[in-house]
Amino acid sequence: MNAIGQPISRLEGRLKTTGAARYTADLPIADVVHGVIVQSTIANGRMVSIDTGQAEKAPGVLAVFTHRNLPRMNPTPKPWSHLHPHGQSYLPLQDDRILYADQPVALVVAGTRDQAAYAGTLIGIKFESSPPAVFGRQAAKEAVEPPQFLWPVASSVGNAEQAIADSPVKIEQTYSTADRHHNQMEPHATTAVWDADGALTLYETTQHIFGTRELVSMVLGIPQEKINVVCQFLGGGFGGKAYVWPHTLIAASAAKVLNRAVHVQLTRAQMYSMTGHQCASIQAIRLGADRNGKLNGIRHDSITPSSMFDNYIEYAALCPRSLWAATGGIATNHKIVHVNRNTPTPLRAPHEALGNFALESALDELAYAIGVDPVTVRLLNDTEIDPESGRPFSTRAMRKCLIEGAARFGWEKRTPEPRSMRDGRYLIGQGMAGAIYTHWRWPAQARVTLRRDGSALVEAGSHELGTGTYTVFRQIAADTLGLPPEKISVRIGDTRLPRSHASIGSATLANAGASVMLAAKDVRDKAIALAASGKLVAPHRNPEVSYDELFARNDVDSLVGEGNYDPSPEGSKATFSFSALFAEVRVDPDLGTVRLNRFVGAYDCGRVINPKTARSQAIGGIIWGVGHALTEQSETDPTLGRFVNRNYSGYLVPTCADIPDLDVLFLGEFDGEASPIGAKGLGELTSVAVAPAIANAVYHATGKRVRDLPITIEKLL
Amino acid sequence: MHQFTLSRPADISAAIAAHAQDAHAAFIAGGTDLIGLMKDRATLPERLLDLNRLPDMSYIDAPAGGGLNIGALARMSDVAAHFEVRSRFPVIAESLLFAASGQLRNMATIGGNIMQRTRCAYFRDEDDLPCNKRRPGSGCSARFGLNRNHAIFGWSDDCVATHPSDLAVALTALDAHVLVRGPGGQRSIPFAEFHRLPGDTPERDIVLDRGDLIIAIEVPARAEGRASHYFKLRDRQSYEFALVSAAAAITADGGLIGSARIAMGGVAHKPWRLTAAEAALRGVSLDDTDALKAAITASFTEARPLEHNVFKVELAQRVALRALETAGARL
Repeated sequence: MNAIGQPISRLEGRLKTTGAARYTADLPIADVVHGVIVQSTIANGRMVSIDTGQAEKAPGVLAVFTHRNLPRMNPTPKPWSHLHPHGQSYLPLQDDRILYADQPVALVVAGTRDQAAYAGTLIGIKFESSPPAVFGRQAAKEAVEPPQFLWPVASSVGNAEQAIADSPVKIEQTYSTADRHHNQMEPHATTAVWDADGALTLYETTQHIFGTRELVSMVLGIPQEKINVVCQFLGGGFGGKAYVWPHTLIAASAAKVLNRAVHVQLTRAQMYSMTGHQCASIQAIRLGADRNGKLNGIRHDSITPSSMFDNYIEYAALCPRSLWAATGGIATNHKIVHVNRNTPTPLRAPHEALGNFALESALDELAYAIGVDPVTVRLLNDTEIDPESGRPFSTRAMRKCLIEGAARFGWEKRTPEPRSMRDGRYLIGQGMAGAIYTHWRWPAQARVTLRRDGSALVEAGSHELGTGTYTVFRQIAADTLGLPPEKISVRIGDTRLPRSHASIGSATLANAGASVMLAAKDVRDKAIALAASGKLVAPHRNPEVSYDELFARNDVDSLVGEGNYDPSPEGSKATFSFSALFAEVRVDPDLGTVRLNRFVGAYDCGRVINPKTARSQAIGGIIWGVGHALTEQSETDPTLGRFVNRNYSGYLVPTCADIPDLDVLFLGEFDGEASPIGAKGLGELTSVAVAPAIANAVYHATGKRVRDLPITIEKLL
Repeated sequence: MHQFTLSRPADISAAIAAHAQDAHAAFIAGGTDLIGLMKDRATLPERLLDLNRLPDMSYIDAPAGGGLNIGALARMSDVAAHFEVRSRFPVIAESLLFAASGQLRNMATIGGNIMQRTRCAYFRDEDDLPCNKRRPGSGCSARFGLNRNHAIFGWSDDCVATHPSDLAVALTALDAHVLVRGPGGQRSIPFAEFHRLPGDTPERDIVLDRGDLIIAIEVPARAEGRASHYFKLRDRQSYEFALVSAAAAITADGGLIGSARIAMGGVAHKPWRLTAAEAALRGVSLDDTDALKAAITASFTEARPLEHNVFKVELAQRVALRALETAGARL
């Protein structure tokens, strides 16, 4: 039964399209009361006084919490770490300091959300305000070396400086990207319910139920066994719901004090400061190459902002470590600037999407500088050996992606000169870029139960972000068990289920998916063992027997299989996902508008489990990248030190009218080093390198090199 | 949420009377702007007077002699789809169709459309930032803050906001009238006088007084109406307010412009009429791009860009040219 590889529709599709799927804020909770967070109107300073008297007397109000009366929380360990499930180390409502704009300063709890919101407007706070530090070219001069929290902060292979100095062709440019927010359709929400035994259930919008449990346990000082976290559907995550943010801690603490279930939902505007964001970046790139485009040296230096209290690094200079060969050396480094903002966090696609814009733009500049086709330059620098580690790649279909992607796009018809292609009044531009994305290896557990009626249940503490987790788990189990997919049901999103990892970094399929396969194998083996050792199975000596027949004859109700996927650290091979992307834009030269005409994405994500959900991931990632390239930026007021365009009206995501047909190719093969199911990550990869492909197309159309995202109208006038 | 009551006046007189005597009352029709403003606490009426059931206010009349009379409660989508609107004044139909979304256009009314308040992010912030339009005397955050989307004409140090309505730009170009009834009776306000410049009272967008109710929009017969176009430039393809827009309507004789009407959106606190350009365009050949450009420039000598919108001065002229040329192609 080959369920794997089939374009199976979503298991939960009907639930979602009919509105029957219950998201966190939809869940009916008995006797719930509503909390609304009140935020600071300044970005730097302290609260001199806070008057909650009027708010406490407002209709329906049960309590007002501030730093004066919310119980103290346990600090999380320093140094703060990205793999730690805490969004930021600064704990809410613990003191009178104001370290960023719209910082939570109070929680009003009332019978209804409207009552709480109204009462919140009655709280009077006197602030003592100092000018906030904001990020920009000036602030970047104050950048400091941060401690490591993911990969090494700096890297050096060979002697990049010398290799660049000795090269006949040099490219040296600075690129920048804007602050961006996740803007999930579903706002963050949490409902905290304590029972009489002091056990806490958190209904939470999260990509990381077990991490949420761990962090809440630590901060509130209750054992993990006393906490259960539930999230069965998520209305978009994109990294912004992978960590615990202040509202969850405030709600859980307030619910404990009040001994009532408390529900807190952030407003759209609050999501800009009370959850994370992708920070802006300023990146310097230097390339040294020969006259054919063969790279000798790469140097990539990135500066990004973090909060006043955490050392968050956006690893923008990560991708040149492993993307292309540079025979003489590759050197990278990261610095950060502490400013008055909340701590940045991963946003699809963290690290690589920012860095690839700079690197792949620079490579395009190199191609033009020497008059060689951009695809040819990349083919010339393709490598089977990871330059960073010196190990061969487990699989790398970059060459195939470049060649077949270019063929599908019709790249050979492109005339290389800028401004050489036209359609009426419009300039036509065609650009391309290559991409790399990290492969994550995390332990995961799952359980599969085979039942007497011939059905099976998959259980795993994973998450459905909108990516198709339910569906691919069903598929993997069906394939392994030899059952039709309709016979498989799936339960995820609950810490009472077998422990799984955060659904981030495109890791769910390769890791949690592997645990499902192992669990299904385990129960299948038990069934085979039962058939071999149990009562006579098939009196007519038919070698095939169904599970229900087997179970009935042996009077067994169910069999349970456990899957414990514990990936070893990378072995002798280096594992990454790859892609080559091709974009065509049309630019109105008088008005500076850029519109995408068509797009081809060629991907190596290993083995494709479900071409339908994979294609959906890919086109979603491309659209995400179009926003990165052309429209999305969270703008900071330089005086107020705050994000100003805090809603869908001010923060522009692409509309359907901005997106043409998107063409997607999957060219990878089974990668057993990546995962027992042969899959590498896809979701993040699909939004990497969309921006440079478009920026390079804009250059081809106009002859203008835009090195600062997004490419808005004024940059092309 | 701010507490308010909602009532439904039985007729126009009752609506006007209720509004006139109550400083905290507001009319509501489609509600597509007012509800957002209330959510952002940019306006906090205590009593809403629901106009939706008032009879005979959603008509679209196209008199035999030309022009249009549009009831204040006519919905944007109905007006945009009306055959006579589309054939007599393409500029009006286009200004409506390029605005908002299908769902919003089904709800939003013509009277409410021209009453929209600025999209200035400081004005609309749910945190009540310094903004003279929202809280007089609190200062203008945009004046030295982020002002890419703000005015290049007619602003004051107290307010640099722009008016968001697309329809209002088209109606300004056509010299429409706003028929208003108040406690003192009915009057007709020339469209160019309906919206105000900010001066030192930016909290007042329009000239209406308490108790005034928009009854209808009257568009006189205009020879320029048929060859007209609304061009809207924005940062994405759909569902977005104008960065800069232009409504152009012309007559021509033998390829030479007889009369031109041009108004622009996204450049000032009110729809901005290019009066000097209109005069300079008379007699200019539609095929002479350089001459058209030069004539348009006549209206931009008084442009005063802000820190982040310097580019708008040139861009606006190109947008005006595009609108003019497209209108010309409809002759």
